[in-house]
Amino acid sequence: MEKEIKILLVDDEADFLQPMAFWFQSKGYSTVTATSGEEAIQKVKEENPDIIFLDLNIPGMDGIQTLKKIREFNKNLPAIIVSAYIDPIKMKEAEPYHISGVFYKGRTLEEGLALLESVLRRHKKLQKEE
Amino acid sequence: MTPLPVSVYITAGVVSIIFALILIYLSGLTTQPKVQTRLSQRKRKPPSTLSSEEELGKVIFQEIGNVVDSEEEGKRLSKRLSQILNQEVEKRVSMSTEQLTKKYELIIKEKERNEEIALQKYRKISAEKKNTEAVIRSIAEGLVVIDKHGKIIMMNPAAEKLLEASTKEKIGKPLLENLSETQLVSLVKGTPEGKEKEIELVSASDDTKKVVRASTAIIENENGQTVGMVSVLTDITKQKELDRMKSNFIASVSHELRTPLVAIEKAISLLLNKSTGPLNETQQQFLSIADRNLKRLSTLINDLLDLSKLEAGKMRMQFELSHIDKVIDESLESFRGWANTKSIKIEKNISSGLPQVEIDPQRIAQVLNNLIGNAIKFTPSGGTVTVEANVTKDKREIEVSVKDTGVGIAKEDLPKIFDKFYQGSERSPTDITGTGLGLSIAKEIVNLHGGRIWAESEKGEGAKFTFTIPLKRQRHGG
Repeated sequence: MEKEIKILLVDDEADFLQPMAFWFQSKGYSTVTATSGEEAIQKVKEENPDIIFLDLNIPGMDGIQTLKKIREFNKNLPAIIVSAYIDPIKMKEAEPYHISGVFYKGRTLEEGLALLESVLRRHKKLQKEE
Repeated sequence: MTPLPVSVYITAGVVSIIFALILIYLSGLTTQPKVQTRLSQRKRKPPSTLSSEEELGKVIFQEIGNVVDSEEEGKRLSKRLSQILNQEVEKRVSMSTEQLTKKYELIIKEKERNEEIALQKYRKISAEKKNTEAVIRSIAEGLVVIDKHGKIIMMNPAAEKLLEASTKEKIGKPLLENLSETQLVSLVKGTPEGKEKEIELVSASDDTKKVVRASTAIIENENGQTVGMVSVLTDITKQKELDRMKSNFIASVSHELRTPLVAIEKAISLLLNKSTGPLNETQQQFLSIADRNLKRLSTLINDLLDLSKLEAGKMRMQFELSHIDKVIDESLESFRGWANTKSIKIEKNISSGLPQVEIDPQRIAQVLNNLIGNAIKFTPSGGTVTVEANVTKDKREIEVSVKDTGVGIAKEDLPKIFDKFYQGSERSPTDITGTGLGLSIAKEIVNLHGGRIWAESEKGEGAKFTFTIPLKRQRHGG
């Protein structure tokens, strides 16, 4: 049996995290959550997730800073940037830290799932090629 | 004719000599300095006790004596001649004196009049100068005049205050001397005519920042040569602060409003997609109402934010060379489900080989979604929505139109439909009503692409919305 895929969801809004986590769990994924950049870095180290959903707009260390720190010790973790609205400038800033996808909060849960699955598939393929 | 006696010839010769002498003498009298010179010359000679009249008589007598033999005759002739001459001289002198006096009086009068005029002119110009200076002093905007060497010729009190410098210190000195603000270089250097510049200044006294807008114009003389520059400085610190507050407000509202909305929406979605367990029909119905209205609220907020961004010029277009037919296809695809449930036929009539155009595909999709969404919304079951796209006859633009067979728009409403919050009087009660902002946003987006948007319709005969996108994008200043 395949190992359960673990998603790390990072967002300071617990009310957004909870339904997202529930949704992914209902689709057979395991989830870990973090509400700050520092907590996210710690969870990446401790939980070794397969993918991270990272909100750009978190207080203190923001999403981009968090990803930068994560990339210092983990280059391969697929990261999906989560944002409440389209901000091309922020997106450009995030580019150097290898992002696998962008999920706008206004999109549906189904779209979120589809994005997750396509990123995981692509990543698996890449790993096989290596 | 009897020949004249020799004595007559002699007399005539003597008379002409005497006349010449008299004339020389007279010319000496008319110009004072010369007379004085002569007098001074005479002073060197032994002093003479004879009067000028006696002296003249003596000279005449000597000259006549040279040509007349009889002494008596000579004396008589010379006396007579002396008398005639004296009379003549007196007459002439008095005449010349009178003439000269008149002439000098005229010249003096003329001079006095000219002086008076010049004085009046000077007073007038001086008053005008004072007025102009008073006006310049009272202008609330800072004014700095710089000569062609970059030295300050004048600055008004407002400029002194803005630049924290005094005229006394600055006049005749380069603008930048003793000024720490290196940004001021731009005031003197590299300012194209009529260009406006924003300069940030840091106050020396208290670390506050000031933003000054400088509009600079070149001063040219009559021959079109640059003689200097005049800069008008306006303190726009407050305006800048307000602008910043407004965009911060938009950004924070944008985030703060959307955050709770997405949380509610995700929670309702979980219930509605039955991830949390089965729902009975009534639960499903009420959750659907909540979900529908949440989407409506979400659209309204997004539209409002989009519009305020567009109006503030804060919406950044991400232009890229795109196939507009692909954007149309994607938009149509997203509406197919809704059209099917309303039994509305969607027809597509897009010219093949449309050239690629520089557009922001997401924003053009927003325009298309709005137009196609409206078309489906206002078209009753069994109707048709037609989307067309082609290059205009003049080959300058791509024209995209969305036509429906719906209720149409009254002629008097046509000019108002692109206004904010305008909603057509004909509304279908079952459809979610729009925000009344969609067409305003569409218009702004099309305008930002350099295109046009318009509507044609007759009440009850459907509506046709058309927008254009230029094949070559015009860049207005980047």
